[in-house]
Amino acid sequence: MKNTTMLKRLFKIFVCAVSLGALIAPAAIAADITDVGYMDQAALASLPVFVNANRELAAYNAQLNAQFTAQMKAAKTDAQRQSIQLSFQQRFSDKQRELIGPLFTRAQLAIASVSAAHDLGVVVDKRIVIYGGTDITPEVTKLFLSSQAIAPPTATPPPAAIGFVDQTVLDSLPRVKTANDAMAKFVAAQRKTYAPQLLAAKGDKVKQQTIYQQYQQSLTDEQKKLLQPLVTATKNATAAVARQKNLILVIDRADVIYGGTDITKDVQSALSK
Amino acid sequence: MPFPSRALALAFGLAGLVATSACGPNVHSATVRGIGYVRMDAVVKHHPLYGQLKQLDDAIAAINLAAAAPHKPLTAAQIAAQTAILRREMADAQARTGKILAQKQTEYSKREGEAVAAALVAAKVPGAGRFAAAQMSQASAAQARSAMQAAGKDFMDYQQSVIAQGNAAGAVVARQLQEQAGQKIRAKASQLQQNETDLSLQLSQQSAATRLSLKMRLGNLALDTATRKKLQDQLAAIHANDAKILAAQQQRDRATLAAYQTKVEGQTRAAIASALATINAQTRSKIESERNQVGAQIRSLGPPSLPPNLPSGVKATIAQLQQQYTAQFRADAQSTIAQYEATSSDLERQFAALHGADVGATGKAAAELASLQAQRADLYDKMLAQIRSEADRIAKAQGFSTVFTNITAAAGGYDMTNELIKDVEGLHE
Repeated sequence: MKNTTMLKRLFKIFVCAVSLGALIAPAAIAADITDVGYMDQAALASLPVFVNANRELAAYNAQLNAQFTAQMKAAKTDAQRQSIQLSFQQRFSDKQRELIGPLFTRAQLAIASVSAAHDLGVVVDKRIVIYGGTDITPEVTKLFLSSQAIAPPTATPPPAAIGFVDQTVLDSLPRVKTANDAMAKFVAAQRKTYAPQLLAAKGDKVKQQTIYQQYQQSLTDEQKKLLQPLVTATKNATAAVARQKNLILVIDRADVIYGGTDITKDVQSALSK
Repeated sequence: MPFPSRALALAFGLAGLVATSACGPNVHSATVRGIGYVRMDAVVKHHPLYGQLKQLDDAIAAINLAAAAPHKPLTAAQIAAQTAILRREMADAQARTGKILAQKQTEYSKREGEAVAAALVAAKVPGAGRFAAAQMSQASAAQARSAMQAAGKDFMDYQQSVIAQGNAAGAVVARQLQEQAGQKIRAKASQLQQNETDLSLQLSQQSAATRLSLKMRLGNLALDTATRKKLQDQLAAIHANDAKILAAQQQRDRATLAAYQTKVEGQTRAAIASALATINAQTRSKIESERNQVGAQIRSLGPPSLPPNLPSGVKATIAQLQQQYTAQFRADAQSTIAQYEATSSDLERQFAALHGADVGATGKAAAELASLQAQRADLYDKMLAQIRSEADRIAKAQGFSTVFTNITAAAGGYDMTNELIKDVEGLHE
């Protein structure tokens, strides 16, 4: 009898606890995002084929540098110097395309093929994943090193809940660029002011420390004034666009290897308003 | 366990599970969907080793700041003196590297030779004993090596002297040809100038009578203003006409001179190039001949030649040994070369700094900077690894599918930063 009463009481506690949990948990339960893959790009870059190609490119660059210096010395006008510069840049790019281009294309195809096989919506760089995700590095490396031809995937990656923005594009927006230029000018001016003071205080550690702290503080203050409002505005605009597009997170394009949803243009236009 | 106790444990377990899910984040909600993120910069600031990291950052920034200070302008003599020191250091670094590489090469060649000899003996190749004996007589090999080095040095000296002679001869020829070209151009300029003087004289003679007549009439004080002006205008027109003809001629002459100068300079360049090519060919031929002679000398001192008609298996073994020792030598030499490159790059930056370029820290400051940067990278990696491991544990416990760091913005997901900070702060204790 005593046992039955106790059981009844325990059942009531259990039901209450479950009801409480259900009350607290949000009504909408969506499926977890599991289509995130990651890759160790450094591991791929350290494969002998890449290392050798890069070594060859570096040797070519060293050879080019010697010729470049000699030609620049002989140049008499700015126009000649500019033309030399362009010509050497072109030669370097051509060599880079010739040596690295085919390897890069094959690596991209291998990544796309493995991602498609796993139905991944986005593949990011390993550095930005702390937990979870699917590591596709071994499979991509194996496919890349195999002798088989890799066909391009027949379909585009599925829509991903992870978006990305091209930070370099956002940095080139006129007001961001103006602020960055102003900050660079400010840093240069502060260096000009504080560097001689720091040098003059050689041997006096306390004084040096004070000067350095003043210098750092001046930079921090200016950064807060010039850049912080823009950073906040960009973050808010990015988050707003992400919400509109039902994205969960937004990362930098530089960290995206494959797939993902590009919202750079939307953020750009939101910031230009 | 009696039944009520088991039921009690089950009920508490379930209640605990529900309570946990109610207290922790609902990782499966529509806004989170199993995704978490960490603001790593914020967490790093709470790591027990952050103080050390900050100190390293400050020290690095302070060195960079001090390096940006404008240095006292040096006098030409000071620049020359410091340049001489830098050149000496560069030459020392080259010599040191060359010596180390030569030692390594000798060492690896010796090991390779011994391995090949052992392979030949093991395969019972006829003549292997002779090869091995020759290989083993390292006393004579050492003598041969020093003789080879001496021969190599003599050749380098000879090469440098021949190149220097060639360069000097080339410079003399170039100077002579340039002087000849200068003379030709000056002669042409002088001829054109003479023509212009002649033309000027001719023009003034042609209009001399008219100008004289006009000047005489203008000398008459009784002239009315209108007539005086008319005569003055006529005189001015004659002057203007003469000046115009002369200016046109001068312009034509300038163009002629420029074209002539271009032509003569082109011819001179071609003549210099041809002369230099001849001198260079002679230099190359002299060097080539000396190289062949020294090469023959070195070959006679070099390692014994392999017995002829080796079986293919032995050949393959030898090729593999050669490949193996070459690869080992390359790998070993790489660190020496890297060291030399670092020294050379620093010295080059010091050269540039001497001539006023802003190249950042150099010399001792650069070495200190590099050491601090390495320490910083090492410390940061350790801190990051610890934070990642803690994040991994929390993420697993809370049932996340993926956790990111370095995100740009979040419209959803769960921000694990504060929990991770508490956890990392706990590492203090």
